[in-house]
Amino acid sequence: MTTESFIKELCRKAGIPFDGVFERGRKEGWLEAGDEVFKDSPLTRKNAARICHMYLLKVMKVKDLDMSGAAKLKDLYDCRVCADHIAQVYLRGIMDAKNIKRDGEFLWFDLNGEDDDTYNSKVIDRLLLVHVGDHVHQDMGNP
Amino acid sequence: MTGPSPIDDHRLRFDDFDNSDLFAKKPRLPAMGWNSWNAFGSGNTEELTKAMVLKIKELELDKLGYCYVVLDDGCYHPERINGHLTSDEIKFPSGFKAMADLVHSEGLKFGMYNDIGTRLCSGAEVGIYGYEKTDCEDYIKWDIDFIKVDNCYYMWDNATFADPENAKYSFAPNIKSIEVDGITYDAISAEITGTRAEVKDSYVTSIGTFDGTAPDHSPAGPRSSELIFEVRSSEEGIKDLFVTYASGAAEGTGQWLQVAVGEKIYFDALVAPTENQEAFTVSPAIQVELKEGINKLRIMNHRRQENTLDSYARIRRELEQAGNRDIVFSICEWGKTQPQNWGHKVGNSWRILNDITFQVGSDGNNGTAAWEGDYTTSITSQYNKAVIMDEFAGLTKGWNDPDMLVIGMDGIDNIMCRSHMAMWCMMNSPLMLGLDLRRVTKGDEIYNIIANRELITLDQDPLGVQAKRIFTTYECSEPDKEYIRDNDRIDILAKPLANGDIALGFFNLSQEEKDVPSVSTDEILNKTGGKTVNKELFANAKEYKIKDLYTGEEKETVSKVFGAGKLAACDSKVIRITPVS
Repeated sequence: MTTESFIKELCRKAGIPFDGVFERGRKEGWLEAGDEVFKDSPLTRKNAARICHMYLLKVMKVKDLDMSGAAKLKDLYDCRVCADHIAQVYLRGIMDAKNIKRDGEFLWFDLNGEDDDTYNSKVIDRLLLVHVGDHVHQDMGNP
Repeated sequence: MTGPSPIDDHRLRFDDFDNSDLFAKKPRLPAMGWNSWNAFGSGNTEELTKAMVLKIKELELDKLGYCYVVLDDGCYHPERINGHLTSDEIKFPSGFKAMADLVHSEGLKFGMYNDIGTRLCSGAEVGIYGYEKTDCEDYIKWDIDFIKVDNCYYMWDNATFADPENAKYSFAPNIKSIEVDGITYDAISAEITGTRAEVKDSYVTSIGTFDGTAPDHSPAGPRSSELIFEVRSSEEGIKDLFVTYASGAAEGTGQWLQVAVGEKIYFDALVAPTENQEAFTVSPAIQVELKEGINKLRIMNHRRQENTLDSYARIRRELEQAGNRDIVFSICEWGKTQPQNWGHKVGNSWRILNDITFQVGSDGNNGTAAWEGDYTTSITSQYNKAVIMDEFAGLTKGWNDPDMLVIGMDGIDNIMCRSHMAMWCMMNSPLMLGLDLRRVTKGDEIYNIIANRELITLDQDPLGVQAKRIFTTYECSEPDKEYIRDNDRIDILAKPLANGDIALGFFNLSQEEKDVPSVSTDEILNKTGGKTVNKELFANAKEYKIKDLYTGEEKETVSKVFGAGKLAACDSKVIRITPVS
């Protein structure tokens, strides 16, 4: 899924117009210039996390959770600018981590990975179901 | 791009790190100002920056020294336009020159941000690599006074977002043996210097430099390793050297080999890759010049440090060639390559760890910080490393940078914020505010912390000596050198000042109230004596004037012992001691 397709799907499900969303989203603070400039690029998981987190903050007005609960993600600190985005969507159960160890727990977010359309659509559904105060993460299986 | 550039300037070499600077540097105290990152993350805008400028003036923070206004990541258009950097047209519609003019019109100074890699940490494809000349000319045209340069997407190390296999440039291959003049020398019998390398089975691995990004390793002592062979030669002359090695592309085992005899480097390049990290092969002949007798033949790889220094030096050089502006150069490679060893050659300060918080704010959201934590993202994580780095800092060197202030963020109370401010001032750290200043009014609790003139005076004291930890309740033999991460303790720091006074800081790092031990003038002077302006006067004073730098309370005492009674959790006390003759 491209960045543009993800944003279009988010607009459709949220009931907001897609026309002009790049400029509007940047003014509202939940989209970046790069989302428009590189709109045809495949959506990475870290960018999906950023868009979802900033949409939560700026549009849905949902406050951040303490991110320490996401420290179990082994690659959380690999990304200084997106660590909080990842933590928030993980802790709210919007995006899942991947457990890549067969006989134990090695939770990995896979920042630069990409998800298929079905999973990205599910991410948007979960995002739009968040209510202020929700904060318990339930892993719903590997994406 | 097949690899980092050859290094022809010996001043960029590891062997020269302790010697001359690369650039003329004037003595400079730690920078003070406001940076957009902790307050607004990538969401900073022209409108918000203007509001901060106005608040700095309204609060008269500039009169206290907070003069730099720095735009951090998130301010650029995400790709170059005609090869040049431009502003994000929504966030900064008037452009950077207009922003600089506005900042300057208020008597403040203007700072910007870039990255030695191909992209910025935010992902914007405008990293300075390959554009040093163009970008520095533009920065000069925009009249910048400060630049912070980050380290994401760096090509020659496994930095954040860079290819992890770039570690091949940062470490030597695993070494099993060398052969010179028909004699084989086993690596495991050779001398390993420093603390990074180690023997594994029949070979030596991890020949290189510790990654200092995370708080796992002490900054004190040698942070790099070499493998040194004592090679005997019956005559002076050129000899063929063969190295039995196995290469890799991960932290600890690389593919870049440096060979030196004494200080002369004979090989400095990638070697052919091997099938895996234990599939040893023999290198082609490397010619080295030996003298008659014993020669110290060094197998090493200092490129992690040398490449990074080279990249920062290119920027500094281009800035100087582009114009004659007095620009503060803030190195932000997160302590990865042990910049305390080389930062003084090019910069005015160097970050010592990854960020102090990953939960930065945005407009309407204060962001969150912590007093303690396992990683770098807490006040004490940064303090615990910086507090033993005083010998690396100084007026003519530069300053250890434990990252920007988190005062005013959620997750920490005012006691913690006050201790944080005091720690940073005692340690001569740059003081870059990181909060939305619209929340501050003169006389409120945050204002009283960030505007504590007495503490700021310590940070900006013209003697320029970072405080030394002279005592800790944690059991150790060298409190000024031991890297302590257990926060269940009290630290006492002493800071000599230009007028002969000494500032003492008592810090309770724990989360419970503690009794604070006292220290005597002898203990203070034994640890700081060489840097105290008038040691005799201080030692033999008839009495001392003591000023509490939080309350302003002053008293006089004939006692030569100083304490702080009890300290609440995370609390501190800082006193200024003036000897009275």
